Amino acid sequence: MRAYILRRLLMMIPTFFGISLLVFAVLNLAPGRPGANNNSGDVASNARGEATEESYKVFREQFNLDKPILLNTRFLLDVADIRRAVELVAETGSTNISERLEAREELEDLGNYAVPQLVRVLREADRDGRTRVRDTAAYFLRLNAPRRLMEPFNPAPSPSVRAHNDEVSAERSRLRDLRYDFDAPEARKQAAVAGWSAWYDEVKGRFAYGRAEQLRILFGDTRFAAYWRNLSRLDFGVSLATRAPVMATLLSKLKYSLSLSVVSLLLAYALAIPLGIFSAVKRNTTADRVLTTTLFMLYSLPSFFVATVLLFFLSEGSDFRLLRIFPTGGFESPGSQDLTTIERLLDIAWHLVLPIACLTYGSLAALSRYMRTGLLEVIGSDYIRTARAKGLHERVVIGKHALKNALLPIITLLAGLLPAVLGGSVVIEYIFGIPGIGLWTIESIYQRDYNVIMGVQLLTTLLVLFGILLTDIGYALVDPRIRYH
Amino acid sequence: MSSSAPDPEPSGGVPPSGPDHPASAALPAVAGTPLGAGEEARVSYLAAVMARLSRNRVARFGLYAVFGLVALATLAPVFALNQPFYWDAGQGAEFPWFAALFNRLFFENAVDILFNLVLVTAPFAWPVFWWLSRTRPLDFWPRAWARYLGAVLMVFACISVEHVGPWENPLHFTSRVRNYRLERDRGIELGQAPRALFPPLPYSYRETNPTGSLLRPNAEHWLGTDTEGRDVFCRMLYGTRISLTIGVVAVFIYVSIGTALGALAGYFGGWVDNLVSRLVEVMITFPSFFLILTLAALVEERSIFHVMLIIGLTNWTGVARLIRAEFLRQKNLEYVQAARAMGLGSGRIIFLHILPNAIAPALVSATFGIASAILIESSLSFLGVGDTSVASWGETLNTGRIQQKLWLVLAPGAAIFFVVTVFNLVGEGIRDALDPKLRV
Repeated sequence: MRAYILRRLLMMIPTFFGISLLVFAVLNLAPGRPGANNNSGDVASNARGEATEESYKVFREQFNLDKPILLNTRFLLDVADIRRAVELVAETGSTNISERLEAREELEDLGNYAVPQLVRVLREADRDGRTRVRDTAAYFLRLNAPRRLMEPFNPAPSPSVRAHNDEVSAERSRLRDLRYDFDAPEARKQAAVAGWSAWYDEVKGRFAYGRAEQLRILFGDTRFAAYWRNLSRLDFGVSLATRAPVMATLLSKLKYSLSLSVVSLLLAYALAIPLGIFSAVKRNTTADRVLTTTLFMLYSLPSFFVATVLLFFLSEGSDFRLLRIFPTGGFESPGSQDLTTIERLLDIAWHLVLPIACLTYGSLAALSRYMRTGLLEVIGSDYIRTARAKGLHERVVIGKHALKNALLPIITLLAGLLPAVLGGSVVIEYIFGIPGIGLWTIESIYQRDYNVIMGVQLLTTLLVLFGILLTDIGYALVDPRIRYH
Repeated sequence: MSSSAPDPEPSGGVPPSGPDHPASAALPAVAGTPLGAGEEARVSYLAAVMARLSRNRVARFGLYAVFGLVALATLAPVFALNQPFYWDAGQGAEFPWFAALFNRLFFENAVDILFNLVLVTAPFAWPVFWWLSRTRPLDFWPRAWARYLGAVLMVFACISVEHVGPWENPLHFTSRVRNYRLERDRGIELGQAPRALFPPLPYSYRETNPTGSLLRPNAEHWLGTDTEGRDVFCRMLYGTRISLTIGVVAVFIYVSIGTALGALAGYFGGWVDNLVSRLVEVMITFPSFFLILTLAALVEERSIFHVMLIIGLTNWTGVARLIRAEFLRQKNLEYVQAARAMGLGSGRIIFLHILPNAIAPALVSATFGIASAILIESSLSFLGVGDTSVASWGETLNTGRIQQKLWLVLAPGAAIFFVVTVFNLVGEGIRDALDPKLRV
């Protein structure tokens, strides 16, 4: 048995690899640039201001959006390309706005790698007296030259990290002084350009990459590598909206979603099996027909419709005074922390009656239909006829002989139901305002909170994978025909 | 019951043709005369399935309801449009309704344009077909309608491609919109009522009315109006078009993907099978609604076609597994060995020999799939990540939820429920007809 579980666990690894590959592909190949706001791409008449400029860049860096997807060849940057891009951005007037915007994005994304080339462009332009190109180059230097802080969200960094960050901060404040507006006096600009030159001569060694360094950049400094690095540390970053770590928030929200889906699944099985047996035993009677038809119709009812109607009639906002039974939403009443444990559980149960009902009836209908057909198939088989011929009581025939085999396919269905129930809880949590993973996902999707979306995707699939594992183990335990070695 | 001729093909939408219809002709022969095995095989599989399907009362109701829905979707502008069929205010007769059918100010969406194209051309196609059918073989009708739909689609595809030539796109024009309803009301006030014939519901599904928002159901607005004063009945009607198209196109996409991958995996086995199986495993592990939601939200300026594509790209696993299993079972049967011995290529064997025998379970799952695709689309628009420019049932339902107006909830809910039930019924019927063992 242990070997079987171990083998199943090993088989999960390639699947999870595939899943994370898919999540990466979805998030990186989707059209649209997250966080971008449309502007003309003209540096001088900049509507965004420096604060937004800075935060946009930080945003792109933090989510690794500034990096190339698979291979990074930026240590081979050609100065001619940079010159062309800078000139394109510096030109005002007639040029194509989208082209200019693209050049600008490209220059911003190149980050540190473009510093030597930018300095060269700056010096050339200064020598030739092309002030506009020079100012633009200085602008991009200002954006690209500062190094990143290490572990910026760590409240207690290690001494070496702190030392590095102090050094970087000192350099940053020195470089901040080199900033100038496009309408600053010429003397100020000259001083800044000289400052850039001097700074570059000091740190030139930083931009000469050795063979090993180049190889590291080629494969290591990409979105793909960063994604795997973070994943292997189970680090999903911080939420864009709240700055709270994704993993911790997710774990804290797991209890809401799991209590919904687990209770709903248990309830569905607990109800579906007797219902299925009932309608299989009483097949083609009126009771069976009514039950089957009702369940069939339930199966076709969209859960968001049922939830809305139930809320309309049975919640505290109902038009009918007598029917104001359930709360309008939420997981527990405000201030329920002060209640005793039992009162609190009752309060939660009171809140969850409607959501769980809405989440359950769909899988209940599907399960009991499977139960019915499965049992009917088994009842038709030879060994049941033998059991009856032996003169066994019908209750023993059905309850002991038939049921054992009819339950097997129902257990396997759990693997398929789990993703459906987890996905379905999105709509239910949205309608009932339960602060679980589903509601959080929708909010994050509205806000384009990439880290959260990614984390939720990966962790829910992990949850499903474990659900499937449990199903398989359960199946292996119940069915003696399955050998596990 | 079996004496009334069964419908030859679910896609047909045509009343049964005659007493010498293939299925009805073949069945009595089987029942009546003792036949050898070779002769029995002459009843085509499809005909036998159809005969069984037509004996199932519930499934027949479902089929008729599907035809009814298609007809309703096609005829929507006849029932509801704010342009009169005929208008004469003393300056000669006008026919604004016909011009409005391809006016982008009324029908912005390609789905609408396609349905309008069918609406305009079908009355001309019918007599031609009818005349042709008198000399053609008896399985003429389903093929004729399939060809007609194909022709319409091709015309649509050719015309709707923009910027291909110097000419103006005839399906993409916009012209000034006259408010004929207002003119009529004004004329009646002045005592010079124009001679006009409006559709029974003189509203367009995009026509907003700031002064008449959130009206209860009344004689003018049969199902009331929503927050922007748009007629709800009208939106329900046009929503049928969207839902049906979503269901059919999304399922078509994923049946194609699933069939191709499943067939390759089952036929070739080895590493291809391994790869496809792993891919299927990865896809079924995803809570697909999360994935769909994420994809839908990531696409900026999404249209209804994005939604179709997303549903299609995420739901192909079931079909792939079914087809793969069938191919595994059938690839070593004698008829395949015979085909191989004749030196046929793999492509020919896969698509022309095995696939027709292996597609049946996939078709059942496709019918159920239409229902679930419609459900997915309405939940997406319910959550606000659908296409907001079309009349979607889910969107209206969400408006009703937010505004706490029951009529805005019940109408779309009932519509979704009806369509989903109907497709599920048809799916059940086809499944029972394909596998009578399961019907106890």
